[in-house]
Amino acid sequence: MKKLLSMLLALAMLLTCMVAFSACGDEAANNSGELTLENVKVGAIYITSQNDTAGYTFAHHNGITTAMEKLGIPAENLYIVDNVAEDDTAVSNAIDTLAGKGCNIIFGISFGYLNAMNDAAAKEEYANIAFSHATGYLANETNFNNYFGRIYQARYLAGIAAGLKSLELGNDALGYVAAYGTEYAETCSGINAFTMGALSVNPNAQVYVKTINAWADETMEKQAAESLINTYNVCVIAQHCDSAQPQLVAANAGVFGCGYNSDMTEQAPTSHITAPIWNWDVYYAEAIKAAVNAPASEFVNNIGIYYGGLKEGFVDISPINAAAASEGTEEIVSLVKDLIISGEWDVFSGVKLSYTQDADGNWTIVKTDADLVTNTGEVIVTAGGASVDDGVIKGSMNYYVAGVVAE
Amino acid sequence: MNKTAANTHSHVKEPLIRIVKRDGLKLSKLVLVYVGAILLAMIIGCILLASMGVNPFKFYEKMLTIGVVGNAFPYKCFEGYIKLFTPLLIVSVALSLAFRMKFWNVGGEGQFIVGALVAGWISAIIGESAPSFLVLILMSLGGAIAAGFYGSIASVLKVKFGTNETLMTLMLNYIALYLIMFFGETKADWNILLNEDSARPIFKTFFENAWMPVIKIGSFSLNISLIIAFVITALIFVYLKKTKQGYELSVVGDSISTANYAGMKTGRIIIRTVFISAFLIGLAGAFYVSTAHSLSTSVTNDVGWTGVIVAWLSKLNTLAIVVTSALISILRYGCTQAAAEFASVDSHFADLLQGIILFSVLACDFLTRFKVIINLKRRKSHE
Repeated sequence: MKKLLSMLLALAMLLTCMVAFSACGDEAANNSGELTLENVKVGAIYITSQNDTAGYTFAHHNGITTAMEKLGIPAENLYIVDNVAEDDTAVSNAIDTLAGKGCNIIFGISFGYLNAMNDAAAKEEYANIAFSHATGYLANETNFNNYFGRIYQARYLAGIAAGLKSLELGNDALGYVAAYGTEYAETCSGINAFTMGALSVNPNAQVYVKTINAWADETMEKQAAESLINTYNVCVIAQHCDSAQPQLVAANAGVFGCGYNSDMTEQAPTSHITAPIWNWDVYYAEAIKAAVNAPASEFVNNIGIYYGGLKEGFVDISPINAAAASEGTEEIVSLVKDLIISGEWDVFSGVKLSYTQDADGNWTIVKTDADLVTNTGEVIVTAGGASVDDGVIKGSMNYYVAGVVAE
Repeated sequence: MNKTAANTHSHVKEPLIRIVKRDGLKLSKLVLVYVGAILLAMIIGCILLASMGVNPFKFYEKMLTIGVVGNAFPYKCFEGYIKLFTPLLIVSVALSLAFRMKFWNVGGEGQFIVGALVAGWISAIIGESAPSFLVLILMSLGGAIAAGFYGSIASVLKVKFGTNETLMTLMLNYIALYLIMFFGETKADWNILLNEDSARPIFKTFFENAWMPVIKIGSFSLNISLIIAFVITALIFVYLKKTKQGYELSVVGDSISTANYAGMKTGRIIIRTVFISAFLIGLAGAFYVSTAHSLSTSVTNDVGWTGVIVAWLSKLNTLAIVVTSALISILRYGCTQAAAEFASVDSHFADLLQGIILFSVLACDFLTRFKVIINLKRRKSHE
């Protein structure tokens, strides 16, 4: 009896599947109409949940929904698979799910998704889907690109603000709470850019780096900030980690700070100067448009490997907090921002910036050719040379520049 | 309170609530109870879904059809389903072996990881040069044997020193988990498991020779490991029903003293059975990574835990395990499919729904095994 029942159940299941199988082929065929902003389907693979209220996934989800809203795409055209581990099977399952829903473009936001996305993009059956991957280095020539931002440009600006503060306070020690150090180009390019920004206004500045080996760990972020203040007597706490804990520690200790990801002046109203921030929607809107306007095979051709910076508005710094910033911060930062946007100069080049003020109080930038040197004395770019784009973008930067003191 | 009352009175008083073991329910009734439990859980889910602004009927439709309806690539749904179902089936069958002996192996997670890790290591060493069938066989055997020995740690200690196998296997899970995390996060020359091209540590994709073969049926790829899983299930069914060893292990499960009295070497039987159990779980791990083409720290997908639920709900009956693991895989896979459809439903919510359904089924499972008798007349009789 029991066996019979089991078999019946199994048979019923199989039948349901068969019926569904035959029914769906027709529906899929109906989707072949022209792709527009009204019917484009957007897929997203998240490392945590879209219902988060802060952090990495939150920032991306916010970017995608904002972009969709701006483009007038109905909200229900967004399909999400969340909490996807950096595991090839999990990711390829997520891709299958989203492809099945009829998504025309699929975004993957976490580094470890790269292999599965690369494999999926190469599949013939997915040739009509555009794939776009954040923070990775893999791409193909048709329907798979990767994207990230020149956040180091924003960090350079934050470094200027921090350097001016250290000049004002007469304390050359700056602190930096970092998720990782030279293991990741993403973290060490940020540390380097911040340091070079600070050095451009205060040639004696020293940036003390404390790494916590985690992208988001509030307790360790707090402890690292405390230890930087107690050990090195730093006057500014900068950070490359998820939470506002380092800024809260700075506020409590009576020192200043530069946050990350969001305007942390909200958390530390009198001590937070400015934070490098991302405007993910800038890229997402571009990418979705690219997917709608041309077949997926043209996707990479149209949008390329995307590394937007200040120029595209993809990265920026939050409004400078007058209650915490030193005099001249606003002026110098906007000069340098304009210079970077103009494309004449970039951070990791053989040209150093400094600034002079004339009698009327107007600032001007002075460019000086000088080697880009690591803190162990190795020359990376000779004086006058062009910026090391590849090191940051393809992820090979693995050194600290002079002025960084890592524990 | 009952105790003191019982002590002060000379006659034994009936407690307010009594739980009495129930004799075998009729199968039809049993099914009815389970269906009722699922319906109840789904009604609770309906309320929760509606409160999130999601149409519960549309959600359940997507869930129960595992997202096949209206899908652009329906065969992918079946492939995805099979990827989930195959390891669950093998692990549940393997766990039921140990459970029949009342050896509570909750170390499925750890044994699965060890199997996966060793298979991954073997594929990294020989995957490039050796022929595919050899690579696959060595991966499967290597992973399975390593997991078998890993599982034997708990059984040998239990037999020799009477240690608690539940605690032991549980803790071995964590050791295995941290081991695979160590390999996944340590970039070094000796670590051949990682991708050399990546600055960040990530597991590399296996060489093609280490990929589990598939049979193409149109667009659909039937994974060979599914067929092997059914063969294993059938073999275990025969092993338990028809062989001397199968008989021995059920005697040990019923009563160790009986087994001893009958002259069985109980220690050997326990160690042997747990080895087979862990061997099969390791094999599932090896199959899984070979299907996935890569290792990962979340390789188990909780199969070691879900397997316990499946084995228990199936009352360790091999055929019932096939049905239960198929149904639970529908629940799990269907939930992800349905959750992707609605942007407000995240996987935590999908897990919550699954949890409610499983909890309600387990709760009613209790009711099928035991009767709750509430004696309301009790108080009056003493006044």
